[in-house]
Amino acid sequence: MEHIEKRKHGHYGFVIAQLTSRELKRKYARSYLGVVWSVLNPLLSMAVLSLIFSRLFRRSIDNYPIYYLTGYILWQTFTGATIAAMTTLADNKMLLLRVKFPMDLFILARVYTAMVNLGYSLIAYAVMLAVFRVPPRWTMLFSPAVILCLFFFALGVSYLLAAAYVFFGDIRHLYTVFLTLWMYCSAVFYPVGQLQGFMRTLVENNPLFIFIDCLRTAVMLGRLPGTDRVLKMLVWSIGMLLLGFWVFRKNKNKIMQHI
Amino acid sequence: METQGKTAQAEIVVENVTMQFRRAKDEAASLKEMLIRMVRREHGYETFLALDNVSFTVNRGEVVGIIGTNGSGKSTLLKIISGALIPTAGRVLADRSKIQLLTLGTGFDPELTGRENVYLNGAMIGYGKKEIDSRYGEIVRFAELDGFMEEKVRNYSSGMVSRLGFAVATARDAPEILILDEVLSVGDLFFRKKSEARIREMIHGGSTVLIVSHTPSVIRSNCTKAVWIEKGRLIAAGDPKTVCDGYESMRK
Repeated sequence: MEHIEKRKHGHYGFVIAQLTSRELKRKYARSYLGVVWSVLNPLLSMAVLSLIFSRLFRRSIDNYPIYYLTGYILWQTFTGATIAAMTTLADNKMLLLRVKFPMDLFILARVYTAMVNLGYSLIAYAVMLAVFRVPPRWTMLFSPAVILCLFFFALGVSYLLAAAYVFFGDIRHLYTVFLTLWMYCSAVFYPVGQLQGFMRTLVENNPLFIFIDCLRTAVMLGRLPGTDRVLKMLVWSIGMLLLGFWVFRKNKNKIMQHI
Repeated sequence: METQGKTAQAEIVVENVTMQFRRAKDEAASLKEMLIRMVRREHGYETFLALDNVSFTVNRGEVVGIIGTNGSGKSTLLKIISGALIPTAGRVLADRSKIQLLTLGTGFDPELTGRENVYLNGAMIGYGKKEIDSRYGEIVRFAELDGFMEEKVRNYSSGMVSRLGFAVATARDAPEILILDEVLSVGDLFFRKKSEARIREMIHGGSTVLIVSHTPSVIRSNCTKAVWIEKGRLIAAGDPKTVCDGYESMRK
């Protein structure tokens, strides 16, 4: 019995690998530079934003390019994962009826694809850390924990969106608007110190800001993030994953009927 | 004596299966529409029976054809048998791990090459990497696509796509329960003969086969038993010739 279970999980791994390589190939199917864009994209964005804002925020942020880049790659991973995962079930309609593995794997593969992309962006990030003379510190070892939490959080949100999208196609448009608002509340490109009152509370409890802030603290300041931050990070990511998973499982049969 | 033998051999038992869909009178496809309806308190739902108390048994080694016009509930029944849908009432007894569902032209990604699609599609229907590696040559040969495998599928003709689909889906040793959804009515005449021969091979290999079609000739020439479903109801089950004759006379 255990042997069969093991084989099954091995097969799931193969399925996810195939789906992920398909997503990556599709993404760059019509471009010459291909996967190099995953590295270039954050760098170009960093160049543009730094050009505009680094003088403006000179007093409140040291090393603006890295401050921005840290936020940008995490934010981009989150939006990339959730936007792609939202339409998963509709896109794979025909396949869903044939396959024997749980359909959650399709969603997992799309989120995982975004994480692979993040891996490429991290190459650019590492180079930039060297260029802008951020010294290597042992606290950087905390980064994988942040990325893992981001993965769980994005996966939870993806389950919710994918299930909702089957019933209401409009979610896609609403979500893009919502993402704009969310980005402005995540302090991706501005210093959070200038915010006060309600906005400050909102930003400080925003999961995306918490992930970004933890990474900035560990990488740029060489400190471990405070216990309350780490706790919030864990609660948000695990809570969202469980919620997403639960909602998805509960509505599975309805989803299959509707598709 | 005979009944005892029958129960021991039953491979798929469909017991009083009813599938009820609740659908909006005209589907609220958007959030906006749904909100408007909620405000106006219009719950324009109507229930619709896709399957109405259907029962039949498929025994080991039988080749059963399911016939019916489009929208009669055939594909809903397939989804229930293969475990993708759970029926509103009734149940299906079958070992899902033995079932291989074969439908064509689906699941290929036009942006990937033929080779990449073989691996992707193989993974989707439960093949392992080694299994595909070892059968790859055979798949290409059967689909007659030598020299086209590094080409993107979007450049394939529809015939080439369905040939490849069929080759991948039947590459493995015969599964114990094989479900064919309109598979035998595609491709050119030559390939159709070839694929029917392959299906026959699988049938001889001891598989139990379920063929879904709206073409009576396919059912007549391949099946040992036929089930006719119309508007969700089981109209007739039994000898394929008698059932198909009935089906044809209704269509006239």
